[in-house]
Amino acid sequence: MTKKEQLPPAVSDAEQSLVLASLEHDQLVKAKKHSIPRRHLKGFELVVLWALRLYLLFMMAVVGYQIVVATR
Amino acid sequence: MSGTPQSLQAQPLAVTNNAVVITHEDIDRAHDRVRVSAARAQHGFFPWARLLWLLVGPGVLVMLGENDGPSMLSYAATGAKFGIGFFLPFVALTFCIAIVVQEMTVRLGAATHRGHAELIFERFGPFWGWFSMIDLGIGNFLTLITEFIAIRAGAGFFGVPPWAAILIALIILYSALISHRYWTWERVTLAAAVFNLIFVPVALLTHPDWHAVGHSLTTWRPLPEFSKDTLLIVLADIGATVTPWMLFFQQSATVDKGLTTRDIRFGRFDTALGATLAALAAGATILATTPLLSHQMSTENFQAAEFAQALEPLIGRFGASLFALGMVEAGIVAAITISTSSAYAFGEVAHKPHSLNLPMGQGKSFYSVLTLCAVAAACIVLTPGLPLVYVVLLVNVVAVLAMPPALVFLFMLVNDKEVMGDLVSPLWANVLSTGVVLLLTAAGVLFGISVIAPNVFAVLGGR
Repeated sequence: MTKKEQLPPAVSDAEQSLVLASLEHDQLVKAKKHSIPRRHLKGFELVVLWALRLYLLFMMAVVGYQIVVATR
Repeated sequence: MSGTPQSLQAQPLAVTNNAVVITHEDIDRAHDRVRVSAARAQHGFFPWARLLWLLVGPGVLVMLGENDGPSMLSYAATGAKFGIGFFLPFVALTFCIAIVVQEMTVRLGAATHRGHAELIFERFGPFWGWFSMIDLGIGNFLTLITEFIAIRAGAGFFGVPPWAAILIALIILYSALISHRYWTWERVTLAAAVFNLIFVPVALLTHPDWHAVGHSLTTWRPLPEFSKDTLLIVLADIGATVTPWMLFFQQSATVDKGLTTRDIRFGRFDTALGATLAALAAGATILATTPLLSHQMSTENFQAAEFAQALEPLIGRFGASLFALGMVEAGIVAAITISTSSAYAFGEVAHKPHSLNLPMGQGKSFYSVLTLCAVAAACIVLTPGLPLVYVVLLVNVVAVLAMPPALVFLFMLVNDKEVMGDLVSPLWANVLSTGVVLLLTAAGVLFGISVIAPNVFAVLGGR
């Protein structure tokens, strides 16, 4: 991030009031800089995610095979 | 005021020297929200209609955006090869599936004010986050290529040279961005997206048999023969309505528009309205090309211009021109929404500013990614000798294959109490979305079998 970007833009009092009255606190851009706490995946969830990952890799290979067959 | 779960509200406002740090993006979004609050404060039909007008957008855009070049070609091929029978109600069903899936992204966006890629990265970590980003990146880029193919082919019907068609499309894409306001971008793109309904008059010009349409919608018959071709078109039609980019786009657009938990009801309406309009256009395209089936016209590997040319003897030059124009429009709107989806996801993951409310100076990376994606896809389409026809045929199939992993992330997020609070999915929605994941996975597995062991279908009584 550049020094220029770190500086808050010039905002009038009216604009500040407008923003604070209209947006929810967590809608502000700066509020979104805070990360959401990480969730550790459980055994079953990991099994499903890995199974789907392998499924996708295998199916992409099938699609590639079909393209090769079609172009022959 | 906030309906966001407590766990996500714990962070204080960003403060510098006792002043809240407010960005240009916040101010633009606040102006949009002031109009929403003003409409909400009034009672009666007209304020309600105004509120609806202010809050619709992401749902209609995502649904009509997904009625893109390859999708309309899939519907056209469906009508020409199989007629309306099973497929008219089937396509309506796929849009019901799309509503179930996309509604979850509205809730997620309104509850967390964060984009889909950002949530996956933060909640499940970069390992799984990168997997979903790679899926999205590859899928989006392949689809973008097909949008420019559709634009080139559709414009070719009018004799426009490919380079000119692509250049005009890029200029339109850029023109939608130059206001640097989400609201203006959304309205311009919505205006373009509504032209997707151009396929309705094309269908009417073919003088459809309304009795057959009614029979099809009520009985799903005649059923197509169980074959590899049928399976491919079924998969392509599913991929024409539910794809990973839609999840990322609608959630990010919901956040960029500034929707809150109070707006979820309107977000649902927006999604259902978009699905209805898109289903109407999709059904009209199937209807429009059904006469090609009765004329026993071979439409293998037809592109937009070929469909328009084949229809010309049946519906005249005017009708065929509308069809070709519809293909161009479908490609342009999808190119806008899909490249925006890529830019949102990149910004969320790279922690770069990502909003259509950003001035060019503050949103260089966002606008650069958006523009570069589109330009790169356009350049590929203009490169002679590339076997692009296979990309068009298989891009919807790839979308269906990539959908189950994307849906599982969505399912996990929308059932995460810490993220969603009281807005977690109800049981019926979980049952439906689990059914969708199983259906898409089964369709993918069947497709795999049809490629690897095509004779299996003959054993089962098909071809």
